Amino acid sequence: MSHKQGIGITVGGQRPADTRQILVGAPGPVHALYIHVPFCAHKCHYCDFYSFVDNRDQQEAYTHALLLELRAVRDLLRGGLQTVFVGGGTPSLLRPQLWGRILDELHNLVPGFPEAGLEFTVECNPESASAETLKVLASGGVNRVSMGAQSFNPSHLKTLERLHQPANVQRALSVAADAGIERRNIDLIYAIPDQTIADWRYDLHIACDLARTGLVDHISAYALTYEPNTAMTQRLKQGEFVAAEDSLEADMYDTAVDSLSAVGLDRYEVSNFARPGSECRHNLVYWRCAQWLAAGPSASGHVAGSRWKNVPKLGEWIEGVNRTGGFAPAIDIELPDAERSLRERIMMGLRTREGIDRHALELGAKELNCAKALDRECTSLEARGQIETVDGRLRLCAPSFLWCDGIAARLMDAITRNAD
Amino acid sequence: MEIRNFSIIAHIDHGKSTLSDRLLQSTNAVSEREARQQFLDDMDLERERGITIKASAVTVRHAVDGVEYMLNFIDTPGHVDFTYEVSRALTACEGAVLVVDSTQGVEAQTIANAYLAINQDLEIIPVVNKIDLPSAQPDEVAMEIEQALGFPAEDAIYCSAKTGQGIQELLDRICRQLPPPRAPQTKKLRALIFDSHYDDYRGVVIYVRVFDGHLNHGDKVRMMGTGRTYIITELGKYTPKPEKVKSFGPGETGYLIASIKTLKDVRVGDTITIDNDPAEEPLPGYEEPHQMVFCDFYPATSTEKGSDFEELREAVEKLSLNDASFTFHPVHSEALGFGFRCGFLGLLHMDIIQERLDREGGVEVVQTAPTVTYELKTRDGVVHEITNPADLPDGSLWEELREPICKVELIIPTDNVGDIMPLCLGRRGIYKQQQLISETRTMIDFEMPLAEIIYDFYDKLKSMTRGYGTMDYEIIRFQADRLVKVDILVNGDIVEALSFIAHKDNADKRGRVLLTRLKDQIDRHQFEIPLQAVIGGKVIARETIKSMRKNVTAKCYGGDVTRKRKLLEKQKKGKKKMKSIGSVEIPQEAFMAVLDQGE
Repeated sequence: MSHKQGIGITVGGQRPADTRQILVGAPGPVHALYIHVPFCAHKCHYCDFYSFVDNRDQQEAYTHALLLELRAVRDLLRGGLQTVFVGGGTPSLLRPQLWGRILDELHNLVPGFPEAGLEFTVECNPESASAETLKVLASGGVNRVSMGAQSFNPSHLKTLERLHQPANVQRALSVAADAGIERRNIDLIYAIPDQTIADWRYDLHIACDLARTGLVDHISAYALTYEPNTAMTQRLKQGEFVAAEDSLEADMYDTAVDSLSAVGLDRYEVSNFARPGSECRHNLVYWRCAQWLAAGPSASGHVAGSRWKNVPKLGEWIEGVNRTGGFAPAIDIELPDAERSLRERIMMGLRTREGIDRHALELGAKELNCAKALDRECTSLEARGQIETVDGRLRLCAPSFLWCDGIAARLMDAITRNAD
Repeated sequence: MEIRNFSIIAHIDHGKSTLSDRLLQSTNAVSEREARQQFLDDMDLERERGITIKASAVTVRHAVDGVEYMLNFIDTPGHVDFTYEVSRALTACEGAVLVVDSTQGVEAQTIANAYLAINQDLEIIPVVNKIDLPSAQPDEVAMEIEQALGFPAEDAIYCSAKTGQGIQELLDRICRQLPPPRAPQTKKLRALIFDSHYDDYRGVVIYVRVFDGHLNHGDKVRMMGTGRTYIITELGKYTPKPEKVKSFGPGETGYLIASIKTLKDVRVGDTITIDNDPAEEPLPGYEEPHQMVFCDFYPATSTEKGSDFEELREAVEKLSLNDASFTFHPVHSEALGFGFRCGFLGLLHMDIIQERLDREGGVEVVQTAPTVTYELKTRDGVVHEITNPADLPDGSLWEELREPICKVELIIPTDNVGDIMPLCLGRRGIYKQQQLISETRTMIDFEMPLAEIIYDFYDKLKSMTRGYGTMDYEIIRFQADRLVKVDILVNGDIVEALSFIAHKDNADKRGRVLLTRLKDQIDRHQFEIPLQAVIGGKVIARETIKSMRKNVTAKCYGGDVTRKRKLLEKQKKGKKKMKSIGSVEIPQEAFMAVLDQGE
């Protein structure tokens, strides 16, 4: 299950490095934290996140290393946490007792935790989210769950190799609500092979009911993506099924935007819909290119302009963290670079309804000596009705969300040192 | 001192260069220490491809039977595209050494070059080379030479340029068997220009063979073909180091320098005479170089700043300094911007130029599909030369359209005759004759339009014969046929760079194959793109590129940033190599799609 932290492909050389060079001495504080829990009951076929079925019980060893990693960034957490997101894998598979240790550690390390206004999300699977676990989570400060519903149609769930019963989603959401977890999201997937627009409307209908009854205040709806190195992609290549036509996919997207807004869930990012005020603040940290800390195997972080990913293999991560006293071996390290950062701000910011601060963007471009190139590109895109600037923020025009990548690519290309 | 002028002729890779080196060494012209491999080839590119583009002449001495000989060894280009240059070099000789690889046997260019030499009435000494190799079959190859060319097998010298075996015998035979230069026919100077090259430090260096009269340092000479005059500032011979001399007499060979700025001012085959005491007639056989294959070069990178075109211009001009047979003039294409239409002697010549542009000029180019020269006779009776299909006027103005026809000579394993016949016939080949040149190999002659050869004919020949087939071609005439111009429309706009001329009978198929290829090459756009192949307004083939409805990544969170950014940067980078036709972006590779005939 799950979203938010994918396994990147290591392009270029893997440096024999760990997170120490980025984290030690970094100017804090950092207010966001992502924790990756790699365990799953079953590996879903579309999933390219680092996760596996834990046959030998490694939950103890995992938890031990995770605590080491959290302690190592104690200094950066001094300013308190505003968002925590625990993704996977299936975090709800982690035993309640181990959850207790992690939550206790956060209480010990982070001043005032859980402070008022903290958003603390844990991803759950409808099958494994037990009342006991949810209660432990709630009492430890967790106030948001993200449930992998994916579809309410058993045959499409089967295509995705999802094991849960559709009805369990609502039950799990109710259990979470009963446990006192106030904010609840479900993930949906569309453009599944053989899925018709009517099928999708049915899923949306159920989802809208959940929204209407207050069981969810947030929905993430993703077009099925055939990620490299997944079983789904393999099956596609073998001709087991055909991918949905992109015209169908586009129609499904438009349908989702319309249906969800009708029940008060507005699109605030390409694939994310929320009641006003219920937007996922942790994910906004990503889209705003703000800083966050990372813990757990394959978790990615962004601190002081550097990006990295913890080594994905559980064994290597445990070994590395234990050896260094809390610093995970890191891959895909990218050190601070103004050009890269500005491009990322465009790529991520353009995905959101709030868009990008145009003035800040222009200042950045000016420093890179490419302000004219950026202005040319903006003018051209504005003339085509693809982007607009409202209240000083550059953003996609509503119909252009379907063309986000191409537009981002053009703007990013304008951000080239000394293009002027 | 006796003089002997001779060339070595061979099929590519039959060891001509190694044999040249060995001959020079054996006459002590080059010491072992100095003997750079393949002394006569001085361009890296040639060495890599194993062919010689530029001829040069070397003078060495050899004594036999108590007589001393001056041997003028004239190098020749080894490839089919340079037939004219080879023929001029051979004109400067009285004899030729015909080298055949004892592991390969007689090949198409062995035959072609041998016939060039025979037509010049040269005395020929057959040499069976590389006999040191385990797979050598010298007796069989000598017999092939006899069968294919009529030189008695027992006359062939067996030799190994590598070990030196047979080299002494070859030198002796050159002295004894080859005839001396003919007697002068006039006292007035007549010297044949048989090659030239451009030297960065000295300007143009011309190689000449004096037939009549004397050429002296300081003479004011006139080129009889171009009418230009120059003062000789240096005369010399390569031995193989350049050694200056005061004068050349009849029969002698050497180089001259005369402050000539560009190779364009020098024509191979031209006759040099004294300006104020000229010969009455030039030596026979002079021809203008004739470009037969054309294509456009455009700068590969974006032309917004225009500097890439200037870079290309510089590179092209520089290349033409070294190669007078390569022509170019600026063109503008709506699709590809500013570029050059370039003419080449043939396909290999085109490949060499493109590679040298890339290597020496550092310029990345987009090359359009090659076309041949056509002769268009319009209704008013005027004949126009057409080198670009886009220049063809409306079909109603034509009287006839003529295309170059080649005599094609193939030497292939006899087992492959059944595959090669349909290949040639399918390309409008007309079978002429067939001859068994050994137990396993056959020589076949076809007449075939050059336009059918410049596509992947040679590659097909090579693959069908597992590399054993060889070919040679020569343009013999222009001939009218039922030719049509096929235009390609992308989203309703004609893309001139994709227009091609085809025979009426296979224009439909060519059109269809091209559209299929284009469909794969052009990315989907936000709108549907019709592709059409059209002859004179009539649509003969049609394809549609469906519209794209979306271009957005569904999930993009913190861990996706790096990978996603790289993907988008790549997406945009790819776009740079696109050319816009109307609102459609066409990748540059698509302009080569015309090449694939889909066989």
